[in-house]
Amino acid sequence: MDMAVTRVAVRMKIQMQLKKQPMKGFQSTYMELRWIRRRSTKTSQIDRKLLTPAMRPPFPIYFSTDPKHADLDRLQQLYADCNHSCYRFPNYVGSHGRVESVDIHKLRVALSHSAVLVSVFCKPHHIVDDDGEGHFTSSADSSKTIMGVTDFLQSVTPVSPYDGHLVGFGRAISDCGLTASIYDVMVIPSLRRLGIGRMIVKKIVRMLTNRDIYDIAALCTENERLFLKACGFGGDILGSTTMMYTRSTSSMIREGESDVRRIGQKLLLVPPLKGPFKSSRTIM
Amino acid sequence: MLTLNAARHTSLLVVPFDGSYPVSGQFLVPANLNCWFTRARRKFRTFQLKTGFWESIKTGYYREFTTSGRKRLLKNSTTQVIDSPSIDEDDDSLPQEFVLVENTELDGTIEQIIFSSGGDIDVYDLQALCDKVGWPRRPLSKLAAALKNSYMVASLHSIRKSPGSGSEENEKKKLIGMARATSDHAFNATIWDVLVDPSYQGQGLGKALVEKLIRALLQRDIGNITLFADSQVVEFYRNLGFEPDPEGIKGMFWYPKY
Repeated sequence: MDMAVTRVAVRMKIQMQLKKQPMKGFQSTYMELRWIRRRSTKTSQIDRKLLTPAMRPPFPIYFSTDPKHADLDRLQQLYADCNHSCYRFPNYVGSHGRVESVDIHKLRVALSHSAVLVSVFCKPHHIVDDDGEGHFTSSADSSKTIMGVTDFLQSVTPVSPYDGHLVGFGRAISDCGLTASIYDVMVIPSLRRLGIGRMIVKKIVRMLTNRDIYDIAALCTENERLFLKACGFGGDILGSTTMMYTRSTSSMIREGESDVRRIGQKLLLVPPLKGPFKSSRTIM
Repeated sequence: MLTLNAARHTSLLVVPFDGSYPVSGQFLVPANLNCWFTRARRKFRTFQLKTGFWESIKTGYYREFTTSGRKRLLKNSTTQVIDSPSIDEDDDSLPQEFVLVENTELDGTIEQIIFSSGGDIDVYDLQALCDKVGWPRRPLSKLAAALKNSYMVASLHSIRKSPGSGSEENEKKKLIGMARATSDHAFNATIWDVLVDPSYQGQGLGKALVEKLIRALLQRDIGNITLFADSQVVEFYRNLGFEPDPEGIKGMFWYPKY
């Protein structure tokens, strides 16, 4: 009994020490304005005589790590725009490979338990609707035509999370001590390849390393591997293999006893409850 | 049934709910506050002595609290709460603590291996166990923080009772296994740190630990369960239903560049 009391006292001491340490890091919010210069695309090179670099000024985007800025409806829309699913093996609807929309209630739970959230906002008129035919709207046109009063006002008021359009997002889950995993990094298609995604990942990593968490993992498909490499990620130095639970059927199941869960496309088998067993080995 | 950790988080979600709040533009407890609330709750729990009597009282209290909280929610709010499906599962639930293996030795000593999902692990015991397995040492405060903020911590303790004497007197309780998982409580989970005392390996204890974790996660519809396996345990996890690099999905780790 004495030992138990001492142990409890020691644990309390460690916990009180934890309180003094700046674990508040996850509580501090961060907002930053960055300027993005639009990279010249193939189509703009054709129009180069019309569009000198001076006429394509950098535009501001706003990074925020405040969870209050991650509005759920806009976020759901962003997931849909980026065709991103929270499930690794999602259900596809329609014929264009679009994934089903993310469940907003589950999303709320997920966000409230994510240690780091990064949202990226941008003024709506900077989002170029590049439909591949070289038709530039908004920012290019606005510099050529006479701007109306509302356009002018829109272009001078600073971008903020409340009137900006949500264009990028990223989040990380952590145990606030040893490890962390990054999920759901996305940027809308029209603003990709400008370095925004990289800034999101760097921001997340920075927030985690500021709290002394250096074991940061991120899952990626083949297409995203180069992106993560550019952000400073690589294969595990210890040579560990990434594994995911994918068991869907078992030859040992009898009818009526199996319990499965639908997770996106997969039907995962829930391991059955086993009662106490006698060990097959004598314990040393 | 929810594990103690999950119950704790559910009860946190109950607290800030308002019956009629607009869905858009509002946000619930942010992650930072969540960590903070968890810490406050943990402090309460450490005051309780670790005996069977207290454990049963605790379990009863949490179950009562969370089910009543959920029922209140369903009545008031227009939006459906996340964990309503698990109300039905109370009878098929995972108890907080139960005896996994029971052995009687030649001299009459009874050894029981108790599985617990409560997460009540002494960090010193854990560090000793990590040393036995051969893992590198990690700072104790980080270990404690990680255990506290994990979604679920499953542990195995061995209790040896000498024959003849009173039930509480000659009991030796030893930590012999642990597994933990972090999660966002909705979609993704990662299993870290699965370890079993070398002298107890080979009996199916590690398998039981991981299976219980998977079961608890899938009961909450958390489907993306990942882990990073060393080369010598890849087969072990394959037998449990894990697939390496499914459909080209790989995990990458961050490297600091100086």
